Amino acid sequence: MNIKAPKRAESYIPTASMADIAFLLIVFFMVTMTITVDRTEVSLPTSLKRTEIPKGAAVIAITVDGTIHFSNGEEDSRVINAQDILPSAAFIMSKDSLQYFLIKADGDVEYRYIDQVMEQLRQASVRNIAMLTMQEAG
Amino acid sequence: MSTWKDKKTKESPEIPTSSMADIAFLLIVFFMVTSVFSVTRGLEFQLPRQENTNQDQTPEEAVHIHIAPSGSRCIFTVDQQVMALEDINIYLQPKLQRNPNKFVIIDPDPQAPYRCMVDAFDELKQGDVKNISIPTQAEKSAWGDIL
Repeated sequence: MNIKAPKRAESYIPTASMADIAFLLIVFFMVTMTITVDRTEVSLPTSLKRTEIPKGAAVIAITVDGTIHFSNGEEDSRVINAQDILPSAAFIMSKDSLQYFLIKADGDVEYRYIDQVMEQLRQASVRNIAMLTMQEAG
Repeated sequence: MSTWKDKKTKESPEIPTSSMADIAFLLIVFFMVTSVFSVTRGLEFQLPRQENTNQDQTPEEAVHIHIAPSGSRCIFTVDQQVMALEDINIYLQPKLQRNPNKFVIIDPDPQAPYRCMVDAFDELKQGDVKNISIPTQAEKSAWGDIL
């Protein structure tokens, strides 16, 4: 008697949906990614207490030599003089009086640079300020 | 007699998609390499309102922390007493128990590094100090010699 061997199913890995998965990942990363308006490199001071700062805050970056970079939270940051913070901040405050201002300053910068920035912000009636810090080990 | 055209086997039309996944993963890798991790956490505080700057603070009763630079470190002088950063909260706790709204003024020297001010501010936040004030040089000169 001649019994036919059963037909073997061809084994393969389905790869048709691989592209869909990859594009889904791309879309996910693009949606969750926050757009960085300021790329100034500073070594931030550390602190144990840290709170999440609302997105879209204006950024004032101060490098160790006292150079000030300013961004209104939407456009990329640009170098400005300390005296120009007041009109820029006042303009932002005229649109949104609760706008957050981030101070992204190098930990080794002399305090007088921070002081003049704070003074300008105070004169522009800014209320909400946040100092960016890194997590302190401890 | 059949024509040459009939003899040719017809290829089914298709768009080659086998490399699509490679392209997509390449894009993912590219975005991951070029993206910058931005810090979005820090210490929050609020500046006083312009109109009541002078009313809601009585500097005589406030705790005064002066920060002076000393090489790479800082000297913290709390109410005329030099103390270590960790001792500030020990000094403040009895005062805060009596008056939870006690004002604490941080007064960094213009030459002191910024991180010392952040350290002091962080220390006060850990001690749940509600009213922290960091007057600017202009404000201090307006207040006079009370500090």
